[in-house]
Amino acid sequence: MRGPRSRVPFAAACVVAALVACAAGDGLAQKPATAPAAARSDEITIDAETFGGVSLRSIGPAAMSGRIAAIDAVEGDRLTLYVGAAGGGVWKSQDGGTTFEPVFDKYCQSIGAIAIDRRRPKTVWVGTGESWTRNSVSVGDGIYKTTDGGDNWQRMGLEDCERIARIVTDPQRSDTVYVAATGHLWDAGQQRGVFRTRDGGKTWTRVLFVDENTGCADVAIDPSDPNTLYAAMWQFRRRPWSFSSGGPGSGLYKSTDGGDTWRKLTKGLPAGDLGRIGISVSPARPSRVYAFVEAKRKAMFRSDDKGETWTEGSSAATVTERPFYFAIVVADPKDPNRVYKTSTGLWASEDSSRTFSAIGGGVHSDFHALWINPRNPEQLFCGTDGGVYTSVDRGNTWRFLGNIPVGQFYHVSYDMEWPYNVYGGLQDNGSWTGPSRRPGGIANRHWRVLGGGDGFWAFVDPNTPDIAYVEYQDGNILRVARSTGETKQIKPLEDPKDAEYRFNWNTPIHVSASKAGTLYMGSQFLFRSRDHGDTWERISPDLTTNDPAKLKQAESGGLSVDNSSAENHCTIFTICESPKNPDVVWVGTDDGNVQLTRDGGKTWTNVGKKIPGLPPATWVTCIEASHFDEGTAFATFDGHGLGDMRTYLYKTADFGRTWQSLATDGLKGYAHVVRQDLVRPDLLFLGTEFGLFVSIDGGAQWAPIRGNFPPVAVRDLAIHPRDGDLLVATHGRALWILDDLTPLRTLTRDLAMKDAAILPSRPSVMVIPASEQRFDASEYAGQVPQEAAFVTYYLKKRQLFGDIRLQFFDAKGTLISTVPGGKRRGINRVAWPMRMKAPKVPPSGNLVPLGFAAFGPRLPAGDYPVKMIRGNDTLTTTVTLVADPRSTHTVADRAVQQETTLKLYKDLETLSYVVDAIVDVRDQARARVAGLGDKDALAKKLAGVADRLETLRRTVVASREGGQLAGEEQLREKMGSLYGAVNGYEGRPTGSQLKFVDVLEGKMAGAQRDFEAIAKDLPVVNADLATKKLQPIAAMSRDDWQKRQKN
Amino acid sequence: MFRRTLWALAAIPILAAAPAVALLAPIASAQTVDEIIAKHIAARGGMEKLTAVKSLRQTGKMMLPQGMELPFTVIAKRPKSTRMEFSFQGMTGAQVCDGTMAWSVMPFMGKKDPEPMGADETRNMLEQADFDGPLVDYKTKGNTVELAGKEQVEGADAYKLKVTMKSGDVRYMFLDTESYLEVKVEEKRTIRGTEVEGESLLGDYREEGGMMMAHSIENRQKGMTQGQKMTIEKVELNLDVPDSLFTMPRVAAAPDSSKAPASAASADSSKSGAKKAAAGKKN
Repeated sequence: MRGPRSRVPFAAACVVAALVACAAGDGLAQKPATAPAAARSDEITIDAETFGGVSLRSIGPAAMSGRIAAIDAVEGDRLTLYVGAAGGGVWKSQDGGTTFEPVFDKYCQSIGAIAIDRRRPKTVWVGTGESWTRNSVSVGDGIYKTTDGGDNWQRMGLEDCERIARIVTDPQRSDTVYVAATGHLWDAGQQRGVFRTRDGGKTWTRVLFVDENTGCADVAIDPSDPNTLYAAMWQFRRRPWSFSSGGPGSGLYKSTDGGDTWRKLTKGLPAGDLGRIGISVSPARPSRVYAFVEAKRKAMFRSDDKGETWTEGSSAATVTERPFYFAIVVADPKDPNRVYKTSTGLWASEDSSRTFSAIGGGVHSDFHALWINPRNPEQLFCGTDGGVYTSVDRGNTWRFLGNIPVGQFYHVSYDMEWPYNVYGGLQDNGSWTGPSRRPGGIANRHWRVLGGGDGFWAFVDPNTPDIAYVEYQDGNILRVARSTGETKQIKPLEDPKDAEYRFNWNTPIHVSASKAGTLYMGSQFLFRSRDHGDTWERISPDLTTNDPAKLKQAESGGLSVDNSSAENHCTIFTICESPKNPDVVWVGTDDGNVQLTRDGGKTWTNVGKKIPGLPPATWVTCIEASHFDEGTAFATFDGHGLGDMRTYLYKTADFGRTWQSLATDGLKGYAHVVRQDLVRPDLLFLGTEFGLFVSIDGGAQWAPIRGNFPPVAVRDLAIHPRDGDLLVATHGRALWILDDLTPLRTLTRDLAMKDAAILPSRPSVMVIPASEQRFDASEYAGQVPQEAAFVTYYLKKRQLFGDIRLQFFDAKGTLISTVPGGKRRGINRVAWPMRMKAPKVPPSGNLVPLGFAAFGPRLPAGDYPVKMIRGNDTLTTTVTLVADPRSTHTVADRAVQQETTLKLYKDLETLSYVVDAIVDVRDQARARVAGLGDKDALAKKLAGVADRLETLRRTVVASREGGQLAGEEQLREKMGSLYGAVNGYEGRPTGSQLKFVDVLEGKMAGAQRDFEAIAKDLPVVNADLATKKLQPIAAMSRDDWQKRQKN
Repeated sequence: MFRRTLWALAAIPILAAAPAVALLAPIASAQTVDEIIAKHIAARGGMEKLTAVKSLRQTGKMMLPQGMELPFTVIAKRPKSTRMEFSFQGMTGAQVCDGTMAWSVMPFMGKKDPEPMGADETRNMLEQADFDGPLVDYKTKGNTVELAGKEQVEGADAYKLKVTMKSGDVRYMFLDTESYLEVKVEEKRTIRGTEVEGESLLGDYREEGGMMMAHSIENRQKGMTQGQKMTIEKVELNLDVPDSLFTMPRVAAAPDSSKAPASAASADSSKSGAKKAAAGKKN
């Protein structure tokens, strides 16, 4: 329940927390590659809405956050902040960064630029498609605008420009906006350059264009003269094996007529080809313009005449490194001599760019965004490869904002503990492990680093769970002892007999499911280890094309050579041993080979040469060997590195001899991963750059899983073999879990033809009640499963009229509780709390203190019949409750606890009756007094009865004003607290507790006797009343009371 | 906190009604806002029936996690009075609006006296006290309505209406394209200057007094998957509701409880006659 928004008081959990002070429980468009087999026309649509009720849990973490590409903010009494993540959408903070919420979840998650219209701050522009063009960068789909602070967004065009580096709004005319359209990275494109709108985005004019290979990397406006603009044109291109920055297209341009005409600025700038340029006009002195210019000699430049002539400043390597990745220049809002430049670090100059010094440490490296408060330039917000940091002393010290879960995971895996832990590696944030659930939410502190660098695959050894394998770029595999953190580097090193090893940036590791201690990893060769990586055996020849034209990573980068291993090519990228036969191993390479051995590596065949509809040399992103048949495999391919954005997904059932496309119109985005369910062969999951997709019919038809899940890049999927959860590694929104695939394993097309059908769920674990406190709302808490059993059902149509309810019974057929059901089209999941109703408690002046006093007793493990009642139709199913596997309580001890809880539960009900009966007679007596007048003898007698009852009542319930702080505890409070204490622990109650039950029951019996004694006197009073023709006073019986109880 | 959760309850137009036979007129290609609203009002039973209702009482249950069920009652009276009550551990809390101001009783922490609500909450309560909801007579009320497109709500198409209240606050109301009934509301509230967004899903429409009303309401924070579910079990129309139910009682000067006589003010709510009548209990 606790998400980034949990602070907002709509959540019922908060109510309970506040009310009961309870610390208990879990807190609660691209065309397809080939036409698919046409779906049968008579059938029901299986689409996004079919799975609209399937929600995933965002488990975070936000401990390391992820790459941030854009930040904008409006200062004021309160700081409103918008953060654009490289792959994780737009996050808004209304409180200066204490808390964030995602406001862009329906749209493209790769963000390049954000601009708030400072004249109308509810109008915000978002340019999708990041322009920090690293190998793993995503793609955008246009420019968006909100006019209500992010509640509603409209796409305003530029759909094909793929990436936007900067948006500037005219400070005087809100409808005039300029866009630096960087354009296509992997191929040529026309929609790039500077675009201008003068009608708020309805129409756009491309006002500056150089050629189809040159985009705009930055645009700046003169705040004192909005007709004066500067634009940085950039020629660049990435291919799977190389990157190139710079060329004759690049240049710095200026316009003085609002973009109608432009001329190139050259005086004082380097001669020859230029590369990426960053620009900033000093708000304090707009005639001063700063630029960072990539050239053969990269440097900072300053102009004091509006760009006409330039003076070279610092050319320090630290300030000017990696221009394609760091090119932000920000002039201080108040001091014209102060300017910041992003880099691996953040650099500040106090002497108008001549020299720079580093800002303070304690902050993640790789800076891509910087916002300076114009009112108070001491306050900075920066965006790095590891999230957002803020400083109040101009960058000397930084505070991390731990509430933005935008980690870019490459892969995910699990272990077999209960609850299981998840593992994965991220872009520039190493490898991590954390729990799949935790009382009250999975906090940042629950996550642990297992390795540094850029992390990718991470596994626990299935037979030796203390061993984890993690890696960093270039095939650097590590074996980590989870208990101690001791780490051994186990990368296969060069053998003089072999060619130099080439490892992919994201080197595949595969842990054998069938042979203990066996793991694989690949360079251009496949390696296998039988001893946890201590020795490696090369079991293949070069499995790639070994194409020399694609082996020039040492020259990659263009003007600035950038050989980080990110462009290593002709490498193995995916490895999969068949779960049915360990001698069958599939290997996919980044240059398009699908290699198969059926004899444990002795012989290999490239079975990927003739795949219908697949262009040659298309990157093989994933091969999933079938869990049911050794000749069957699924494969995804990705051509985006050459500008081909189509979804490629294939299946073979004959060891790769023939392939059939499983891609349909329902899919979007280049494909990263396909997984076959472990139980039902026809249930498939696909991750693409634009989301998560499911097929219930072996790939004939696909539907996106949206619900609460954004269209984020899904890089990896794993199915937990014991729990049946689907783990999702997103490249921009960290990790997600879809709990319990059991219902999806039952949903078939035939079943979907029915008006309504129940889909079974796995047994529900009654998790040991535990709680953890947190005191920092600014820290993200990953969502945890509700403490409930779920009943899942399918509805063919949304039901608007009439009721759907679920009734839960015990084994004897007694109704335990009724829960309202969902009515949406498709899958509905309804939570049942696995408890009886909350206990009835007598009225008093305050709440019974302990958290578990508010909840009903937990039900014993076992099967519970369920009826789903829908008008005249009734469907039935069974919910199975099981004990927490960690629990060590004996059956006998559990029975004592359940018996005691139930006893107190019933006692509280009896006590409620007693108090109600006391109050009832007391009030009847008082009512008669009112009719008689104070001096009447009978009135005095009646008042005496009322007073005796009131005195008695005050021994039963606390009545002093002041709530719990009044410190008064009577029978009700003691009994309620004892009930809560016994109810919150599922083993044997303490001896003291058991004894105290007897004490309290004795007191209750006493109170009951006292009441009965008073009630015995009523006939006398009633006789007097009769003489005055007044109604007799009747004591309410337990039966009468029971009848009045509706709830 | 508690009361904020209940706002959403108040947010629901008191009368969300429809004829038993849903209007199934073919959807025109370009319906105007006024046409959609006219069909919505007709779907709720028509102006005549709506305006004939002078007061109503809804009784039901609110489901919270861990199996907690809180009984609640909402009483509304034209033009802008509402009172809602809910019970927990034998105590009854109330949130009341008399058409000009809002107040509450929250006995859960040991204080039974009514307290006026803060300015933000009062404003929200007043807005939500609109008996027929903001679409009926929207122009007279100073509200503006725009058609903001169509969206899917729970797997069915809905018109998305942007309703800008006279105050400037915006809420989005979603009307089912087949029945023209309201299926979802999204709205924002401002709490100490911070906007907080919530949504309510409406369903289980059933006939009441010749009209049909939503009998299930799920309130949740926007985007969350879990909310608080409310089931309306009973609806009574045109009861005799005294205005005194909505007026904040004057609180006597706090008595010194240590010296108070046994029968004087005690903190518990066991003898609140007015409230019991309001909640429809006979004892």
